[in-house]
Amino acid sequence: MHLLLLNGSPKGESGNSNYLLQLLLEGVDEIPGHTHEYANLARVKQHSHYVGLFQQADVIVMAFPLYTDMMPGIVKTFIEELEPLCGREDNPALGFIIQSGFPESVQLRALEAYLEKLARRLGCRYVGTALRGGGGNVRSMPAFMAKKVTENMHALGRSLGKTGEFDPEVIRRFALSEKMPLPQLWFMGTFGDRMARAFFWHREMKKNGAYERREAQPYALPPEGW
Amino acid sequence: MKICVLNGNSDPTSTDFDAYVSRFCEVATERGHDVKVLQLRDMDIKYCIGCFGCWVKTPGECIARDESAEVCRTALHADLLICASPVKMGQVSALTKKTLDKLIPLVLPYFTIRQGEIHHPQRYEQTRDLALLLQKDGADEEDLAIIERSFRRMCINFDSSFRCLKLTDEPVEEVVDALVAA
Repeated sequence: MHLLLLNGSPKGESGNSNYLLQLLLEGVDEIPGHTHEYANLARVKQHSHYVGLFQQADVIVMAFPLYTDMMPGIVKTFIEELEPLCGREDNPALGFIIQSGFPESVQLRALEAYLEKLARRLGCRYVGTALRGGGGNVRSMPAFMAKKVTENMHALGRSLGKTGEFDPEVIRRFALSEKMPLPQLWFMGTFGDRMARAFFWHREMKKNGAYERREAQPYALPPEGW
Repeated sequence: MKICVLNGNSDPTSTDFDAYVSRFCEVATERGHDVKVLQLRDMDIKYCIGCFGCWVKTPGECIARDESAEVCRTALHADLLICASPVKMGQVSALTKKTLDKLIPLVLPYFTIRQGEIHHPQRYEQTRDLALLLQKDGADEEDLAIIERSFRRMCINFDSSFRCLKLTDEPVEEVVDALVAA
């Protein structure tokens, strides 16, 4: 199997999507006999070259974060580049890893439906979509959470290497709950929010001298004529 | 009513779509609405790179200093935001999507609970309705349902109400009535 990993994170190599793809690859590499290539979709000028790589692969896994409830702009730009390939008989199999900073899986389901349809539109065999809310940065997660993510990505990679499919059981384990139970939701919306403010957002703002302007409203005045 | 139309047609040779949007704006104006159209393909809008700069460096503004500032300001002060786009590969155009990513300065980075889910609080008090005006370009009912579902979710994040999805194969007067009806 020749695998193409498409990193659709606008943050490029420093983003979480790349980290997840590399973990997946470690799992694939446990099964001998596979080759792979990697492409960073943040390099928009390279997209036409990546369409060529798309056509040469047996299996493609595209990973990216949720941006305003859909795929990031760079990913949509690449998807439009694939239009001439719709319905070709020799198209590769296609799978996805998507994640969101919001903790609930429900926030990713509309995008999942789009991706399943995209595979059908292209005529690609659909490998599946592994999705996870509460994405954040795996490298800054508590160790026990990061360990679970790592184990699941390795297992997903192994299943891809063995069968060419994402194991539905691993997909199920990887996803967090659809919606949070009320007590957890209340905790996240109050104490969780306060902790995120204190230990991340406000620290970053202070580092940049922006804390005093944190709730600034630069567009409070309407546009001319309104 | 103040209406902001984001024309996300990236193809200048696809004049039918632009002509429909122009006619739509004329009819809405004739009916007493105040319409601003932003022709996105003529604007300098950079891709969002997920740097969080609009939250932690220049709060409320993209650090790229492109024309997304005009999009944010106009969308913010509209009573109705209409995303007008040809359907491309089953979703609004990449030009539209790139632009929607740049609305993030309108929310704060923090968490709040909305409709039983975690979302971002709004940076401003104003809210607006959102509607879709789409050119089908081969899209089927499933595509349209997925697009509407995506935008209904976006409305939760921006504390907006989803008004409706209309297609450019319908008479423009009827579409105006449907989209701008209070």
